[in-house]
Amino acid sequence: MMLMVTTTRLAACAIGLAGFLVSATAMAADHPDFSGVWTFHRAGGNLFGPRWAGDEVMKPEARAKVEAYHKLVDPRGESPGGWCVGTGMPGSMLGSGGYPMEIIQRPEQITIVYEAHTELRRIYLSGPNASVPDSDLFPTRSGYSTGHWEGDTLVVETKALEEQVDQAAAHSENARIVERYHLDRDENGKTLLVAEMTMTDPDFYTAPVTMTKTWDASEDGRMLYYDCNEPAWEDHLDNLRNGRTDEASNDK
Amino acid sequence: MKKFLFLGGLIAACMAATPVLAHHSAAQFDFGQSVKVEGVVKVIEVANPHTKLIMEVSDDKGTREIEYEGHSRNNIYRRGWRPDSVKAGDHITITIAPLRSGADGGYVQSMTTDSGKSF
Repeated sequence: MMLMVTTTRLAACAIGLAGFLVSATAMAADHPDFSGVWTFHRAGGNLFGPRWAGDEVMKPEARAKVEAYHKLVDPRGESPGGWCVGTGMPGSMLGSGGYPMEIIQRPEQITIVYEAHTELRRIYLSGPNASVPDSDLFPTRSGYSTGHWEGDTLVVETKALEEQVDQAAAHSENARIVERYHLDRDENGKTLLVAEMTMTDPDFYTAPVTMTKTWDASEDGRMLYYDCNEPAWEDHLDNLRNGRTDEASNDK
Repeated sequence: MKKFLFLGGLIAACMAATPVLAHHSAAQFDFGQSVKVEGVVKVIEVANPHTKLIMEVSDDKGTREIEYEGHSRNNIYRRGWRPDSVKAGDHITITIAPLRSGADGGYVQSMTTDSGKSF
């Protein structure tokens, strides 16, 4: 009798577990799959993404910071990219130098790899990583991103950003970014990924800045490895081998 | 329009990624001009963020080695370059955006080998 009850319970548990798994799979399948490699939308009119739309609503004190930065680096033609530093948000999603990006989608996390400088974003949808308290976050160029689905639209919210004046979409550490991703099709029926991005930053802008970015599905689906620091490391090694300092080498 | 997009792309690529130990800055290149130069490759390092090319060039000013910068390895790969495409000793023709100063050097917009490969 005991064996029969146990067997029945096991069967019920198995059916319940199977039902849960089927249900979870169905839920995951309910959402669009953004997985794959996406490249800049050639028909969009601007090869390297839309021009930053926030300049007209930038506050004078923020503009002064940006101008001071440009005064410093422009005469030397320097940029974060020249130092192998990624663009940071929202510049990485709006432009990323025209290089493709790869999306890896799991039910609990979406990972975006921008080919340029291998910039990486993790968008947490569920689980403990999706609810890290503010007191445990530290600011970075890409920030901390969480997401949720609203029908077929993926809504991503980003905070914990560093203040950045070294990208076109300059912002303070208090900036908040909301991206809304959905699939679409062009006039030829080819798949597009479209994101509407709104950055709200009362420290730098008098109004939220909203822009739209569109990607084509990559035809070859191929991301290339992007190393950048290696030449500098090799130059450094050459200097060590030849008894030179890096400074002396740069001053040649 | 295509020409405009290509030019815009070149400028954006250049501004986005200047070589770490660069002696020349992106602002110094005149992307409004395209100049053809031919010579013999002395050094070619196809890398990110930019390619380094040193070429022996002979013209009215004499024979000398000139250093150029070019597209990132990823960009040049997508334009058809492969690791065995160009090596030291090869004679090639390049199209450059010259330095605004008029000095030797520039930003390589395209390379063509004597066998006709172009990237």
